[in-house]
Amino acid sequence: MRVPTSERALAYVILIALAALVLIPVLFGSITAFKPQIIWVSSPPTWIFEPTLENFEFVFIQRKGWQYLRNSLIISSGSVIIALLLGVPAAYAFARFRFRGSKALMQWLISLRMIPPIVVGLPFYAMFLFLERGLNIGLRDTYPGLIITYQTFLLPLVIWMMRGYFVELPAAMEESAMVEGYTRLGALLRVVLPVVWPGIVATAILNFIFAWNEFFLALILSGNRTSTLPMSAGTYIVRTRVEWGNLFAVNLIIMVPVIVLTIILRRQLVKGLTFGILE
Amino acid sequence: MTATGATGRADQSFSTRLYRATQRYKHWFFIAPALLIILTVVIYPIIFSTGVSFFRVTFASQSRPFVGLQNFERMLTNDDFIESTFNTLYYVVFSVSGSFALGFGVALLIRRITVGKDLLRLILIIPITMAPIVVGLMWNWMLDPLFGLINWFLDLVNIPEQTFLAQAATARMTVVLVDIWQWYPLVFLIIEAGMATLPRAPYESARLEGVSSWMIFRRITLPLLRPVILVALLLRTVDAFRTFDLVRVMTDGGPALTTETLSLYLYRTAFTFNKLSRAAAGSILMLLVIGLISAVMFRYLFREVGDS
Repeated sequence: MRVPTSERALAYVILIALAALVLIPVLFGSITAFKPQIIWVSSPPTWIFEPTLENFEFVFIQRKGWQYLRNSLIISSGSVIIALLLGVPAAYAFARFRFRGSKALMQWLISLRMIPPIVVGLPFYAMFLFLERGLNIGLRDTYPGLIITYQTFLLPLVIWMMRGYFVELPAAMEESAMVEGYTRLGALLRVVLPVVWPGIVATAILNFIFAWNEFFLALILSGNRTSTLPMSAGTYIVRTRVEWGNLFAVNLIIMVPVIVLTIILRRQLVKGLTFGILE
Repeated sequence: MTATGATGRADQSFSTRLYRATQRYKHWFFIAPALLIILTVVIYPIIFSTGVSFFRVTFASQSRPFVGLQNFERMLTNDDFIESTFNTLYYVVFSVSGSFALGFGVALLIRRITVGKDLLRLILIIPITMAPIVVGLMWNWMLDPLFGLINWFLDLVNIPEQTFLAQAATARMTVVLVDIWQWYPLVFLIIEAGMATLPRAPYESARLEGVSSWMIFRRITLPLLRPVILVALLLRTVDAFRTFDLVRVMTDGGPALTTETLSLYLYRTAFTFNKLSRAAAGSILMLLVIGLISAVMFRYLFREVGDS
């Protein structure tokens, strides 16, 4: 497309301004994490200082940051693994078999994207409470409890994303494998999965990001033992005073892995974020 | 086995028939586990909430009397519920239109540049991947009246310090702007992906005929992008409608409930005021509204996609 120079210059100006609007809060906020406590807040802001890691040390050691990090890692990867184990075979079936109601079922799966978390969170809280009191089954404040509830938003997304990757593969692939004596499941495991591997990685990464950032269900259903990193960020706001240096240290710990994963994932991002409806 | 003989299919042993049956329904072996979990984690809560909303239940109560539609009635006549509904609609209208306009604009602009396109795109989409709670805390810091960057900047140009989040007049719009900041890149990504798939032929013939670029945009680009636009609007609408995290950390509904959204209000009803069944009734109402909105958009969407 031929674009007049003036138009292009204007596009650059606007886009660079918008990029600055992203980078300024993210970068200037983040450097607070490396400021010594005495200059966490200052007016005008302090730009030049000797960076320190004492905030990270405080967050990790005094405030059990390791524990939150561990909880976040266990819950996020646990729920992604479960979602993949259940979702990948289902996605494969939706891609390969046409059966009555398959289309309606897929559309219904997208509609789950619309359910407000409160609709799910509230009954789960009540159920966990009743299970605990009535049957002595403890799910509140446990990893399995959170991992199960996270399936509400992970599992439909895995099915939709993975179906998109399976549809792109020619069916002849498994068919020839099945002629050679593989069962359908064997063909899926030995022939199809190795090829669709990059799609599985992309699906896993995006779902991991969603689980990692999740706040609402963790707020309702986790407790001392299973609090996640986003939950812990909230603890640095005391009514009158915010511990900005510590807070930004936690923010960085939440943010950096996700940004790295996003850079890896950037080409697949649209597909995941739109539930693949666009195809 | 005798039944087999009676129907004249003695040649088919039980195991072959079982095998045939499993072959016929084999897709269910792949789907059933996932479906079972989804039914548990989605259908159970909806049934539970619907059921509970006809009784008076708290987390502590022993007796659970049947009260019919009383919970719904109380909700619909409750001033706070009405106000939070209104706030949510405000939030949806401004956040969706703002993020849509900006996202669409950026999608158009980024096609006009060449050098640094990938880098700019990457920077612009960073906010989508940040946890809303992190975004909220970060903007709290930016907006802080005493030492926030924004007030420091205003100070440089001699505007007095502003407490954007503490004043009823500005708090709502401030939160909406932060929401737009976080989500317009999503619209941008979706529209850009849609534009990449547009066919070239209609553009070439239109250009040959000397159609102005505005008319090309209106008559060719917009109609072709309709399904993509619908997807963007649908996703933004439902996300804005159920927003919780961002408001929770930025204002927690204040000042004076001016930023209280439905999710926040229902959360408080259940967990601060311990009115489980009333919150359940409210969440069912919320589900109905969001279901209605998305059903309408869905119909349009799948009609579009089906046509093309």
